[in-house]
Amino acid sequence: MTPNPTQSTPRQLLRVRDLCVDYRFASVKVAALQNVDLELGEGESLGVLGESGSGKSSLAHALLRLLPSDASVSGLVQFRETDLLNARAKTLREIRGAGIALISQEPALALNPVLPIGRQIGDVLRAHESVNRRQERDRVAGALREVGLTEPERIMRAYPHQLSGGQRQRAAIAQALVCRPALLIADEPLSSLDTATQAEVLELLRTLKAELNLAMIFISHNAGAFSSLCERALVMRNGRAVACASLEELAETADPYIRGLLFPEAAFLDGCKTPASQPQAGRPLLEVRSVSKRFMQRRALSRSKFAVQALEHIDLSVDEGATLAVIGRSGSGKSTLARCIAGFESPDSGEIVLAGRKHESSPQVQMIFQDVGTALNPRFTAAEVISEPLDIARKNDPLERRKRALDLMEEVGLDPDWQARPSHQFSGGQRQRLALARALAAGPKLLVLDEPFSGLDLALQAQMLRLLLEVQARHRLTCIWIGHDLSFLSYFARDVVVMDQGRVVEHTAPQGLRSSTVPATRLLVEASDRLHAPGVEAVS
Amino acid sequence: MIRYFGRRLFHAVLVLFGVSLLMFLVQQAAPGDFLSEMRLNPQISPQALHTLRAQYGLDQPLPLRYAHWLSFVARGEFGYSFAYDMPASKLLWPRARNTLLLTVPALLISWLIAVPLGVLAAAQRGTWLGRLFSGGTSFLLAVPDVLLALLALMIALRTGLFPVGGMRSADPSHGRLADLAWHMVLPVGTLVLGSLPVILRHVRAAVSETLSSCYVRAAEGHGLRQLPLLFRHALPAAANPLISLFGISIAFLLSVSLLVETVMSWPGMGPLLLESILARDLFVVLGATMLSTLFPLAGNLIADVLLYGFDPRIRMEP
Amino acid sequence: MRQRHVFSWAAWFLVTVNAAALLAGFVAPYNYETQDRLRPYAPPTRLHLVDCEGKFHFWPFVYMTRPGGESLTEYQEDCGQRFPVRFFLSGDGYTVLGLFSGHRHLFGVDLPARMYLLGGDGLGRDQFSRMLYGAQVSLFAGALAALLAMMGGLLVGSIAGVYGGAIDDLCMRVTEVIIAVPPFYVLLAVRAFLPLQVSAPVMFLEIVAVLGFVAWGRPARLVRGVVLGARERSFVLAAQGFGASRAYLLRRHLMPLAMNAALTQMAVSIPQIILGEVVISFLGLGMSEPVPSWGNMLAQAQQYHVLTAHWWMLLPALALVPVTLAYQALADVLGSRLQSRI
Repeated sequence: MTPNPTQSTPRQLLRVRDLCVDYRFASVKVAALQNVDLELGEGESLGVLGESGSGKSSLAHALLRLLPSDASVSGLVQFRETDLLNARAKTLREIRGAGIALISQEPALALNPVLPIGRQIGDVLRAHESVNRRQERDRVAGALREVGLTEPERIMRAYPHQLSGGQRQRAAIAQALVCRPALLIADEPLSSLDTATQAEVLELLRTLKAELNLAMIFISHNAGAFSSLCERALVMRNGRAVACASLEELAETADPYIRGLLFPEAAFLDGCKTPASQPQAGRPLLEVRSVSKRFMQRRALSRSKFAVQALEHIDLSVDEGATLAVIGRSGSGKSTLARCIAGFESPDSGEIVLAGRKHESSPQVQMIFQDVGTALNPRFTAAEVISEPLDIARKNDPLERRKRALDLMEEVGLDPDWQARPSHQFSGGQRQRLALARALAAGPKLLVLDEPFSGLDLALQAQMLRLLLEVQARHRLTCIWIGHDLSFLSYFARDVVVMDQGRVVEHTAPQGLRSSTVPATRLLVEASDRLHAPGVEAVS
Repeated sequence: MIRYFGRRLFHAVLVLFGVSLLMFLVQQAAPGDFLSEMRLNPQISPQALHTLRAQYGLDQPLPLRYAHWLSFVARGEFGYSFAYDMPASKLLWPRARNTLLLTVPALLISWLIAVPLGVLAAAQRGTWLGRLFSGGTSFLLAVPDVLLALLALMIALRTGLFPVGGMRSADPSHGRLADLAWHMVLPVGTLVLGSLPVILRHVRAAVSETLSSCYVRAAEGHGLRQLPLLFRHALPAAANPLISLFGISIAFLLSVSLLVETVMSWPGMGPLLLESILARDLFVVLGATMLSTLFPLAGNLIADVLLYGFDPRIRMEP
Repeated sequence: MRQRHVFSWAAWFLVTVNAAALLAGFVAPYNYETQDRLRPYAPPTRLHLVDCEGKFHFWPFVYMTRPGGESLTEYQEDCGQRFPVRFFLSGDGYTVLGLFSGHRHLFGVDLPARMYLLGGDGLGRDQFSRMLYGAQVSLFAGALAALLAMMGGLLVGSIAGVYGGAIDDLCMRVTEVIIAVPPFYVLLAVRAFLPLQVSAPVMFLEIVAVLGFVAWGRPARLVRGVVLGARERSFVLAAQGFGASRAYLLRRHLMPLAMNAALTQMAVSIPQIILGEVVISFLGLGMSEPVPSWGNMLAQAQQYHVLTAHWWMLLPALALVPVTLAYQALADVLGSRLQSRI
């Protein structure tokens, strides 16, 4: 086992010096981390903040030497008295899990789908301590109880797919903590959970940290997530540590990168010329009348079907030029509603009326998809992507279409010189711009945005939102925004509809959310509050 | 659970039915049958031929003939062998047993070797050992089964250690079972060598896919030992694609077995099929094809049972 | 980079082999029927630079061989006369592709000597020449049948994937039936119902038809999977949102994806299908003498004395190894390119 901490340098737990990580792709060397230094004492916690691609995850994996085989590491990582980068495989194995534990991004993917939870946690325990069957059971049950799972016996027998997202993340935390590690590395532990569950898991981590005197490295692109958990934060950019200070000190810096990470909403406001311009009330463009939809679902690997009620008597309307936000936890039916409005699903009953006429599927309604990865055909070039709606409609001659595509590229802030680049070479944000340009090419009246920025970090979200508002004003677009996050909401939405279990439970203005008494709304608001740094909301 | 297996069973029967229908439709294109070849024989009178035709319903239109044949199959028979002048099922079953005598041991041996070896090879991916291994399997995969069978025969001829063919000696010196086993060594060995690289490749691919999955990497991050990591965590997660391969591997083995039986004159279904094709002994061809489909389908059912035990996601179905 | 190397090696190898097979009449020193009954099972002829007296010559030459020794099939070289290897010499007449006829051969030696590069068979026919002619049957039937199977698979698979529902169910049930029967069994059973005694060109077409018929199942399944997967992707949905027709979706989005997958599958299946032809002919249900195929050439090796004494009779089977490896390499590269594209 690891040596007694009191014998080593007092309180010093982890020391990192000049840590560098390079990846080799074919013959190209890409630096993921450059000369990162950090220090952590027992029980201390550190937030690591940075935009996506800044090397945060490489840092987490480098500390445990879990990098893929094409990566090379240099520098010093000292955990207590062990030099991890030069440690033998056996020593390293003993430290993994028992000294330093890692919880990774996706709880659904971090648990083995074909093994019961109890066995997965028990295997970790047995890897580090010699326990008999009975002790193993008791320890595992204790670990599960500790993370707030009230029926450990049932959870132990369950398989991951039988648990909810929150339960899975709790089980993953129990697995990480069962051997009582001194340091917990949490790599974006909240990113795949919905807002309400995020807040619960965060609360759990805070209690556990206090109870177990855990040192913690909490990695996130959102400072709000760890503001209640960490005393200090390390800010990363392009593989380098650009700052390391307390959150209060960081809040006072003038560096636009750090400010953008800490106060994304403020950064958004800075660049917005006419903030929160509320459009005038017009005629209703879209009316959804008592729409219901049931799904016959097929389970994976099976042919049997079962019914899921996705929408129950939904009524709503959107005025011309306005933006309606539809929010709710995942599984509340909001995405199904979006697909019905966009015409990809037809409702079982009720009707959807667009500009006075019954609407089925037409280019007048365009959808921006949640998943940036598959939104564009990877073989198409940028120009081909954008001109596709025109090509399908055979509007004008090819030359004119090409010209229109280039205009649109410019409008969404992409360099027209990139027209011949295949779409898979664009980054996430750029792809979303391409998708937006493509939707505009179809000449829509109504734009349905299904969690359009969920894969992007906050600074990028702010940029995209600004672009969206500009485009909306210029093209007189009506928008329906689907999401679960309340940030930015009051800047662009005139009305908010809250959905829960396939029903509309509240219809209000964004300012009214705070004073709502509807439980589903309260849950979303509280969760959102806990996730964002105090002070941000004051700006509005 | 009963519904699950009921559905699988129904599916298997449907496939068998489809195979019989397909075979019947294809034989429509055949230019003649056993009886029309008999016509050349001056010793048989046209009247006798005519009565024979009527007796087996060969003078009727295709749908009726098919119905006639199906009624045979329902009674557990496969029609009549004109060449051997006996019911086709009496001819087929012993031959099928002999074929299984080769394929079942070969199946077990290849899987027992392939699974551990494949898992270990997956763990060695990227190292020189792993590369050597994948080069080796690629090479073995490229060696045609005909060559393997002929080489086995050559070994028997050159060394004299093993019998050159057949199933039993005229005067077994060590008791019948030992004699049978002695005759089985070379054909079973050839089958194993033929099917091993295929199975091995699939095992390695499936396991190395799970090895790069988040949950195995997470388990590694929790400090699990190498062997439990590979066999307790990675292997069960890879079971689904592998178990589906089980049925296919039976089909593959039967296929290779046809060749091996013919080359090493093992009295299995392969040589029988060949003879009856040359003699235009229609019902035997049909029966052999149906039987050869039956075994992989049965293998699939066994695989489904295994999968039901291994993969909890399947058990969730209503 | 390494992959690209492998790819070009494999591609060049296959092009060379297939070209040699196509131009068999010119490349082979003898016709496939030319016999020399006095010299059965002649071993591969040795090329010399040094003659019996130990004198060195700059040009390779062969000696004539004649049966000698105790058994009928042992040969001795006759040191009396040297026969130098000659290029573009005149010999048996041939036609290439049925278009050009000629009598010049790439290389050979003057009669009465014979050059058996890879030995001779029981009728004294040159194994090397017969393997080239046999490749016309074995390699081309395999490639043609694979092409046939791929096209069938593309058609059935994309119809099933695009239309879905009952059509999909029907297509997939039929595919399952084809796949369920062990490959060699279905091959022989289908073969059984086609005429056996026919002329060589008809037989070739029959073999291609049977092989193609048996092999379309897998590509069909694969293509259907790709099409179904692609239909779930947002970009296909988006195109539908722009009012795209089924034909447009197939042409612009689904087919290019399916095509790539089908091509990869084709590279995987060509060696298997070639093996199928070899097996049919080996078992006496395919190409029949005197027209050679690698399969019916191998059939001679089933005789015990041939197998023990004349190893070169196994060469047609050995030749399958590099061909299979080359196609495998091609498939690997195509497959990984496919994965990196998506």
